[in-house]
Amino acid sequence: MTLGNEFVLIISATIFCIGAVGFLIRKNPLIMLMSVELMLNSVNFLLIGYSSFLKSLDGQIFALVIMTVAAAEVVVGLAIILTIFRTRHDLNVDHINVLKG
Amino acid sequence: MFEITYDIVVLALGITAVLAALGVILCASPIYCALYLIGNMICFALLFLLFHAEFIAAVQIIVYAGAVMILFLFIIALLGGKKEIVEPSVERSAAFSFIFLLFGELLLAAGVGSTKPIEGQLTPDVLSAMGSAKAVGIELFSRHLISFELASTLLLVATIGIICLAKFSYTPARRRSQ
Repeated sequence: MTLGNEFVLIISATIFCIGAVGFLIRKNPLIMLMSVELMLNSVNFLLIGYSSFLKSLDGQIFALVIMTVAAAEVVVGLAIILTIFRTRHDLNVDHINVLKG
Repeated sequence: MFEITYDIVVLALGITAVLAALGVILCASPIYCALYLIGNMICFALLFLLFHAEFIAAVQIIVYAGAVMILFLFIIALLGGKKEIVEPSVERSAAFSFIFLLFGELLLAAGVGSTKPIEGQLTPDVLSAMGSAKAVGIELFSRHLISFELASTLLLVATIGIICLAKFSYTPARRRSQ
């Protein structure tokens, strides 16, 4: 295989940074959550790639744990977004500046 | 010949994943962002297949591209996917410069890094003889049992949090007085 671990590193770093940019520049909390998913996915990709290069399964176990964390985070995040929308009828994160409902 | 084909497929999938990620953050409407994110996750699942992680690829398709994205699409349909107008601002350019600095630092750290890898014994032949799901299961329930239990506890805590958020929500004082 001529494509080595540099390829995995570059793709993973690129997608992580795209996710970070998306988290910072978007105003819709749903798209911000999707950007977090992008970042978690890129880390998963790095772990799986290195687990294949290093002939060890530890990376795959870490990726499974990260998937669990991502699922829990998405569920709680979407519930919080839904609660905010029910009380404020507005989804722009710049307008949500008080914790009081 | 097989080597070249494998490399070309991996490269094409990686570039497609990057393009889909760009689509996620550049589309105005949330529904298109969700569809691009599904594309990105499927690209990653195919890359996992090519890296001999068949079980993780199946979990990625079922959990991410299935359950999580259906949840996203459901919430978008519930809240109404309004388009978002983006105007350039100081914060945006500051965010871009910060992230590009981070990207450069990541690549530099990856290039300079002198860590010594520890190689295991599970070559693709051993894995395919044993089966990916069996190998992952043996590893998960022997050496990584505590992280497995912690993950299940995390899921339980998330479930309790969801029930609390759904049950004890209240209407704001302003709207109640109207």
